[in-house]
Amino acid sequence: MKVLLFGPELYFLGMALVLFILSLRRQVNIRIDHQVALGFAAGGVVVASACLFQQGELFFAAYRVDLFSQIFKVALALGLFLVLMISHNLAHIDDRYHAEFYLFLTTCTLGLMMLVSAVELLTIYVSLELSSYSLYILVPLRRGDDMDIEAGVKYLFIGAVSSCFMLFGLSYIFGATHSTYVNEVMAKMPELVQSPIGIMGLLLTLAGFFFKLSVFPFHFWAPDVYQGAANQVTTFIATVSKAAAVAVLLRLVALGEVYGFGFTQALWILSIVSMTLGNLVAIVQKDFKRMLAYSSIAHAGYVLMGILTLSEAGYTAAIYYAVAYLIMNFTCFMVISEVANDGRNLQIVELAGLYHRNPLLGLALMLGLFALAGVPPSIGFTGKLLVFTSAMKEGYFWLVLVGAVNGTISLYYYLKVVYAAYFLEGKELPAVHIGLSTRALSYALILIIIGFGVFPDRVVELARVAVKGVLL
Amino acid sequence: MVEHVADFPYLTCMLLAPVVGLTIILFLKEEWHFLIRVVSLSAAAIALGLSIYTFVNYDTALGGLQFVEKYEWVKSFGIYFYVGVDGINAPLLLLTGIVIFTGVLTMWELENRVKEYFAFMLALVTGVFGVFMSMDMFVFFLFYEIAVVPMYILILIWGSTRKIYAAMKLTLYLMAGSGLIIPGILLLYATSGINTFDMIQLHGVHFAPWVQKTAFVLLYFGFGVLAAVWPFHTWSPVGHVAAPTAVSMLHAGVLMKLGAYGILRVAMFLCPDGFQYWAQLMALLAAVGIVYGVFVGLAQTDLKYVIGYSSVSHMGIVGLGLATGTIDGINGSVFQMFAHGVMTALFFSAVGYIYDRTHTRMIYELGGFSKIMPVASGYFIIAALCGAGVPGFASFWAELLVFISAVKVFPVRGLLALASIVIGALFALRVVQKTFYNEPNPKFIHYKDVSPFLGLPRAILVATMVLFGIFPRLMLDLIKSAVVPFVNGL
Repeated sequence: MKVLLFGPELYFLGMALVLFILSLRRQVNIRIDHQVALGFAAGGVVVASACLFQQGELFFAAYRVDLFSQIFKVALALGLFLVLMISHNLAHIDDRYHAEFYLFLTTCTLGLMMLVSAVELLTIYVSLELSSYSLYILVPLRRGDDMDIEAGVKYLFIGAVSSCFMLFGLSYIFGATHSTYVNEVMAKMPELVQSPIGIMGLLLTLAGFFFKLSVFPFHFWAPDVYQGAANQVTTFIATVSKAAAVAVLLRLVALGEVYGFGFTQALWILSIVSMTLGNLVAIVQKDFKRMLAYSSIAHAGYVLMGILTLSEAGYTAAIYYAVAYLIMNFTCFMVISEVANDGRNLQIVELAGLYHRNPLLGLALMLGLFALAGVPPSIGFTGKLLVFTSAMKEGYFWLVLVGAVNGTISLYYYLKVVYAAYFLEGKELPAVHIGLSTRALSYALILIIIGFGVFPDRVVELARVAVKGVLL
Repeated sequence: MVEHVADFPYLTCMLLAPVVGLTIILFLKEEWHFLIRVVSLSAAAIALGLSIYTFVNYDTALGGLQFVEKYEWVKSFGIYFYVGVDGINAPLLLLTGIVIFTGVLTMWELENRVKEYFAFMLALVTGVFGVFMSMDMFVFFLFYEIAVVPMYILILIWGSTRKIYAAMKLTLYLMAGSGLIIPGILLLYATSGINTFDMIQLHGVHFAPWVQKTAFVLLYFGFGVLAAVWPFHTWSPVGHVAAPTAVSMLHAGVLMKLGAYGILRVAMFLCPDGFQYWAQLMALLAAVGIVYGVFVGLAQTDLKYVIGYSSVSHMGIVGLGLATGTIDGINGSVFQMFAHGVMTALFFSAVGYIYDRTHTRMIYELGGFSKIMPVASGYFIIAALCGAGVPGFASFWAELLVFISAVKVFPVRGLLALASIVIGALFALRVVQKTFYNEPNPKFIHYKDVSPFLGLPRAILVATMVLFGIFPRLMLDLIKSAVVPFVNGL
């Protein structure tokens, strides 16, 4: 059954086609658009889960399907589904464009799915661009002020520049190894990393993913895009696309057994700078989404910490952390899009009195923020500790120390939001009403954040098995 | 260390009692105040009952770890849910049980956001129980964090006097402490060569001297922040003053002990050589803390600040006892943790009652208060006598043991600390005299005295102080059964 190997991708391609047809209608019905998209996305989760244990190679071995890629495909499909769950109210996007909105989210997910399976450099590049171009369109789709245009242009420029970096790096690698297959390239890496061309080629190639992850120095787009794009688009960028970037980064790094000191040293610096810069700048933010953008830069640093250990435990921790980050970040964005139901940007002070305006959302927000800050018993705490543990095992004492100090700094600005939600009265602000689906979603997220924080073993084991497959 | 597996999961039940209570409360309606209180009190009562059970049934002749439960948690990282009781943590579990039970009773009159208050308080106490019973470093740290974080919200919402500042200061200080603890713990884990966080197994590993020195100092300062080691104590008086009554009780009574317990159980237990290396510094900081706490306390006019600074000095006594590294010293230290916990809980409980009525804690405003509320004032006066180390109360024996060994091991620092304790007694008497035996303030003359039910928590605390003051061996024999092997292993 070769088709099943490509099952999730085919499914999402079909979904994109259906949405494309929907977008051609003259008479717009936004309810139907949403229901179709949501229904298909739910089916996508089922299909991706059904293909979880597929194994094999496709397209002249340019495309590898293994547990690692399939786990991430389930996560991506789930991410898309969750984002569509909170898209029932797209107040800030013109009614005519709703179908397009769903369409491009789907093509982006498709690109990301191909990305996590691609093991050939050009395939990786093409998949990456498929997902990026979709986002280039989605970001300026928002109606209203000029902020969306600025965000769109910025995203496009920085994305294009990092694509250039990446292509440049790829050309170095291709020139030095005469192959575009990742496993062949990596076989030649040990001698190559001794020379500048190898290191430069590799780091420049990774630039494309650093851009997605918003690692320093490719982070400049994050605050403006987070703030300028529609809340739901930001949610997608902040969760789904980050998880995919972690997957590819892991796959590229994991295939090379010996990278040498220079390479890890470079990642070490990027990790520390990302964490510190993100956390320090986040402190002064007033806009909630902008604050989360800076915190995402910091979190990229934590993930990088797991990756740069180049060990099985480190990769396992990085995967766990990436998935955890997807969930806790999504929780915060869900609250944003529910509270700001007219699609405006949410200032932190507008969360005032959330504890009585909607106790459930208040609780979810608090847990999501505590998880981001790494407070137990939450998925974020366990993830952070696993990452730190693996880094310490490889002897990165100072890195862990800096990471731990950063955890303290980050707590400060997360607590400011908790302070607003639980302490400020916000008497004049209206109550927030949520539908049944959001209510169920909140309960589910709360359960997941605490449940997998307290019982992480199953997820960790799954991640470990997946990593073993990649390391071969 | 010998282990005796439990025939019934007593410790898990003790840990789950507040968790279950918390879950039930989450599903109750905000308006059902009485039900919420009853659920909290039942959860606290179950935990207290189980802690008394383990305290009484711990077999000192057998020794070692008893009531042990061990389950695998995260296999690939060697993390276990591993709990047990020995002579060191049995008194502290009992202390936690007493303080949470009396704490819930003390907050019986709370009207503002009752549901959330008790939910957070039970979350906090879960963390405290978890820390005291864990024998796995990872789980220990996990619960440690759980205990620390709810403080922020508890102080922020239900606190008083500069609460926003105090809550943030306290949280950041404590989290900065955690930021030191994580690298310390992970350093030990990574260099041990065995893939486990099990402290008993790690104790068997002989770590390289540099590892011990580095890890010890990280853990000492990390936990030391919570134990209010001078000069990292500044969050503590501010935090105590701002916190609502029961949170002050829990915080000064129990939470600060987590810090001292962490130094003892993790830092000293796993890095004996590191301890020898840093013991001089520990003793110095502890002695400075004792002297400093007493003298700054002398200048305070707010009753809660007075207690806050006396806590700094009493926690200094704990630190001094630990620093001696002798059987008597550590014995006294652990006993002091218990005694001070009960005593401060009584202090804060008494002050809280007075403050809820009069809305002031200023010594000069209250003047002559014992003529208005003789019973309520009586509780405070008893607590002050305990604080001064009067014989007949538990703290007397604890301080005696610590000072005997401190003067032997560190003569100068020991004597200085001892001298300041005498001054401390003076200062306790001064506060009592000014607050309770001056001319009564006519503003408060119409207040009724404390009713027997509302006085119950304080009566329990007084009874505990007196019981262990008259029969100290009930406690000391138990502690000694764990401290003797502990010191031999140093």
